[in-house]
Amino acid sequence: MTPEEVLARLDAPLSLRRRVFYLAVAFAGLTGSALIGLLWVTEPGLPTRTSVAFGVLVAIGLGWAAFGGWAVTRRTPLFARDRVVAGWLGVAAWLAFSVGALVISLLRHEREPALLGVVLLLGALAALNLRVARRARAALVRRRNALAATTTGE
Amino acid sequence: MSDELLVVRCQLGEREAFTELVQGWHPAVERYVGRMLGGSDDDVVQEIWLAVFNGLPTLRQPDRFTPWLFTIARRAVMNRLRDAYARPEPEPIVDLPGDDEAEGVVNRETLAGALAALPAREREVLLLFHLEDQPLDACAQICGVPVGTVKSRLNRARRLLRHELVRKGYEA
Repeated sequence: MTPEEVLARLDAPLSLRRRVFYLAVAFAGLTGSALIGLLWVTEPGLPTRTSVAFGVLVAIGLGWAAFGGWAVTRRTPLFARDRVVAGWLGVAAWLAFSVGALVISLLRHEREPALLGVVLLLGALAALNLRVARRARAALVRRRNALAATTTGE
Repeated sequence: MSDELLVVRCQLGEREAFTELVQGWHPAVERYVGRMLGGSDDDVVQEIWLAVFNGLPTLRQPDRFTPWLFTIARRAVMNRLRDAYARPEPEPIVDLPGDDEAEGVVNRETLAGALAALPAREREVLLLFHLEDQPLDACAQICGVPVGTVKSRLNRARRLLRHELVRKGYEA
């Protein structure tokens, strides 16, 4: 087997587009199921059939989230650059959820301190995740530049 | 370019670095697999490269890439050899006189040919130490045993190898 054949076989796991797709699928599933779940718990007096439909939709969303999460932990490696992309996608998912939660709260004309707490907590998590990913990437970039300077200087 | 720089570039996610890493290390991986298994095995080689790229983002010491790579390669090879390991250990071989002269007499290719006749544990330390030029501590890390065990396996491997070469008529 030649190196080119090895690389051709590794094409799928090392494809950036595929990694971003898996991440997007995971976050979309998570956000969708969270918003549907929010609608479900804040809607009083739902008939059983509607509750079952909500439950199925939440399960589908969680299924996609689990698939995306599994893919980026088992099938395709996430490199430093991908983790930053994942961090931004997390922030985008948090924003989408926050806007959805705000709209639902406004429609209900009710203040939800617990919901506000959840939104703030998720926001803090998303920001922390992005910060960690950016710091890790910056550290690697510094290391790469230092090593490249040493190599060039030799 | 140093391996450490190449590994750091891979950890960042640079596609060109993946190509350079595979082009630089594929011959060594293929050689190790071929000599450990007594013939090339594309599935094992691919399994090794998949494991390498899956593990690269979490490799904490890029400067220790080589022993890490061979640890992964060894695991894949040992999985393939597991059936052979499941059999009882062979009877201890009686010491032969003239221990450490074999490697000075034969060239690398002759050595590689005779390696095929050695048991897997002895073959792997000879491969790593003599053919891949890994230091003793790296061999110990790769094989997951103390340095002393590597030394004793090396001694035993040399004795067996010498015996094998003598049997094939290579005695000086």
